[in-house]
Amino acid sequence: MAYLELKNVNKYYAGVAAVHDFSLDIEKGSLVSFLGPSGCGKTTTLRMIAGFEQLDSGTIRLDGNDIVPVPPNRRDIGMVFQSYALFPNMTVRENVAFGLEMKKTPKAEIKKHVDNVLEMVRLQDTAKRFPHQLSGGQQQRIALARALAVQPRVLLLDEPLSALDAEVRVVLRGEIRRIQSELAITTVYVTHDQEEALSISDKVVVMNKGLIEQVGAPEEIYRAPNTRFVATFIGTANQFLGKTSGKNMVVCNNVELFTNSLTDFKTDQPVVVLVRPENIQVQAEQSRQKGWNSIHGEVETITFHGAITRLGVNVNGQRVVADITVANTQPVSLNQKLWLQFPPEACQVMVVEE
Amino acid sequence: MASKQKKTGRTSDWLGFAPFLLFCLAFEIIPIIFLLRGSFIEKTTHLFTFQHYLDLQRPLYINSFVNSIKLSGLTAIIGVVLGTFIGYAVYRWPSERVRELLITLSDVTTNFAGVPLAFAFVVILGMNGVITQFLLQYFQYHLYPKFSIYSFSGLILAYVYFQLPLMVLLILPAFAGLKKEWQESAQSLGAGPFKYWWRIGIPVLMPSLIAGLTLLFANAFGAYATAYTLVESKLSLVTLQIGYMIAGEVRQDQGVGMAMAIGSLIIMGLSIGVYQAATLRARRWSKS
Amino acid sequence: MAKSRSTQSRDPNKRVRPASWQIFMVSFFLLYMLVPIISTYVFSVATRWDRTILPEGYTLEFYKRAFAASYFTITLRNSLILSLATILVSLLVIVPTVYWVHTRLVGAKPLLDILMILPFGIPMVVLALALVQVYNFPPLARSPTLLIGAVVIYSMPFMYRPVSNAIQAVDAQVLTEAGQSLGANVFQVLYRIIIPNILPGILSGSLLVFSTVFAEYTLTSLIVGAKFKTFPLLLVEFTRINGNVASAFSVISFTIAWLVSILILWVGSMGNTKRTKTIRAR
Repeated sequence: MAYLELKNVNKYYAGVAAVHDFSLDIEKGSLVSFLGPSGCGKTTTLRMIAGFEQLDSGTIRLDGNDIVPVPPNRRDIGMVFQSYALFPNMTVRENVAFGLEMKKTPKAEIKKHVDNVLEMVRLQDTAKRFPHQLSGGQQQRIALARALAVQPRVLLLDEPLSALDAEVRVVLRGEIRRIQSELAITTVYVTHDQEEALSISDKVVVMNKGLIEQVGAPEEIYRAPNTRFVATFIGTANQFLGKTSGKNMVVCNNVELFTNSLTDFKTDQPVVVLVRPENIQVQAEQSRQKGWNSIHGEVETITFHGAITRLGVNVNGQRVVADITVANTQPVSLNQKLWLQFPPEACQVMVVEE
Repeated sequence: MASKQKKTGRTSDWLGFAPFLLFCLAFEIIPIIFLLRGSFIEKTTHLFTFQHYLDLQRPLYINSFVNSIKLSGLTAIIGVVLGTFIGYAVYRWPSERVRELLITLSDVTTNFAGVPLAFAFVVILGMNGVITQFLLQYFQYHLYPKFSIYSFSGLILAYVYFQLPLMVLLILPAFAGLKKEWQESAQSLGAGPFKYWWRIGIPVLMPSLIAGLTLLFANAFGAYATAYTLVESKLSLVTLQIGYMIAGEVRQDQGVGMAMAIGSLIIMGLSIGVYQAATLRARRWSKS
Repeated sequence: MAKSRSTQSRDPNKRVRPASWQIFMVSFFLLYMLVPIISTYVFSVATRWDRTILPEGYTLEFYKRAFAASYFTITLRNSLILSLATILVSLLVIVPTVYWVHTRLVGAKPLLDILMILPFGIPMVVLALALVQVYNFPPLARSPTLLIGAVVIYSMPFMYRPVSNAIQAVDAQVLTEAGQSLGANVFQVLYRIIIPNILPGILSGSLLVFSTVFAEYTLTSLIVGAKFKTFPLLLVEFTRINGNVASAFSVISFTIAWLVSILILWVGSMGNTKRTKTIRAR
């Protein structure tokens, strides 16, 4: 049985579903991210776990016990807020000690605990300062330390890094992951930043419009998106709309594409074929590899991204995006005609509902 | 270097500030300095003296200060306590329309000090006032002579009238500054509502409460028109005494008046100073 | 994200009605604030109202007498002169200074702030005493000119805050630089760019000054006294002569204050709504 278990959770605001039929099992000690665009219900779900929002239906079980009737201050769940929410009238030490005091922990023990967690977030020397004397990144670490000090059963992080600079974000997400694995604490991490979610999670829950789109390990989510939304929200994907034709072919408006076996699909089924730009090889000459797709187009845009260069190629009126790496020595110029080639395995076929 | 110059300004830049500075000097600062000087000068001999300040020990003047401080202190405390609760009630009121209306009402009424206000209180609580009569007719209760609008207790009622809305206006932004996340994180750390208010809510509000208390105190201490209209010479207050000396109604040495003025400046200066410091503190906290 | 959440989490099913303690506090507040005012309004049209709960009859007699009072028009005129002169001087002295400090002399901002808070720390009687002591020679001694100087000092903060907020809100520094790069000099920038943009702030500042100065009693009575009688002075005189007529004067005074407040609100709603926003945020 999973440690934290959400079952058929529903939440409505003024009759509109903010979270719809949400069911999820979270294993003990794992870090699970809720990833999705603004308003997808990820924060609402997190706040229901914390107890700040009431469920309209469904259950949440922690370690086998229903926690829905338990008030937030008795749930033993730590939370880190987007705005840090450090108490401005207390020093760092007092902030971190607050939860332990609420638990009526003996003084000496509080001191030991506080020192420990401050060391864990590497901010021992700020203990006597006030929150407003700290940088944003430091405040975030203290917020984490404060939540961890009470040794909660579950740690919830609500967009903890979104108010910080890009560099600090990268450092801190590594820190969060390090501390999380050291303590083996069950953690739910809410973010709208896919890179963040993919890089630190054991499992990613992609949400959209109150629904779970897909649950899986980061690689799985990226490599094998279940839905068109996941495919386009995470990373970039070219979309070819068309109809199935034969065992392994999709006929689109502008091109015909070879795909893996289409036995699961009806013939003439409207589908979309998704191809990630990094899976497309760019060639000046058509070099027939057996069974590969090979389409011809003209370069319209060239955007330099550092490690890769992204090409926008016009293929019979449709824009197709392809990446070339620095290692690709062939120089590409605007209006150049070239070939885009990719294997059938690079094509992911999904049914389009009409 | 360039940035430093920009900050302090060149001499020519200060010229743009000169007209305003001269105005303040002419109508505020220099007269006050002369007042300070005058409070230490013997009128006939033009020699330095402490006598005016020693004269302040006369019962009339001591009484004036005691009355003024008591009146200002009491109405400030009443204003802060009631104003904070009313402010919270307004702040949490569900309808935005009503909230705006109450804020506007506070805005208007806090300026209703002075003569018309004092007279309005005579209308309701004077000897033949509306409420006085109401109590007499329906409850056979004689408000007078135990209470009188022309006395200390009457002044308290009239002063609280302008103190209350002022406090409401001062405390509303402070309540708005209490972040919802503070309460939620306190809760997730195991604190109930009482613990939250005791450990976080009230301490965070404290600078604003202190600012309110000192501003209300200064507000009442410097008030003149309301007191003049209501009590006239029945009760001695610092501002009333100084007023009499200016009008020449009291044939006394002007020096004592100046000493009194300086005394009240010190009291006011202290409270405004504390008010400023508390406001700065409140602002600093609301930033983090 | 944070924004949409805070509006979402205000559960529409919860707390649509205020709690009973809120109703109690707010009613108490409303009674305290409105009973004296409303009573004065009623008293001013009541024939007699000292033996019964409701007035025995209604009349406009006291307004007739109020308007007929010698001095009525003169005091009204004097009050208007004083208010308008004060607004004019305030505008001339304060607006350019605030603009200057914000754009060219940021280092003087703390000094300006102190000078603007100073009037709060000086009781008006003390200011009056200091001024009549120093300026005890003609033509200034106890003159309306001296009074205007004093009233400008006392009402300065009321003009300063809206003007300063407005200048901050329009980012005067950037506007000035833009204007200068297009060839405008300081006066052209001020007249053509800054003032039109901060007009709502200037208007609400002027209205605030108007309502404080129109009701001003202390400085007027102590500095010039009967020589330049304003409306509040007439009112005080009548509180000792005839209560009914005094109530009619009070009503006029209250009504002007209400009207000016409504105007200020209206002006504020045209311009920036910064202040109300800070209060509205929950």
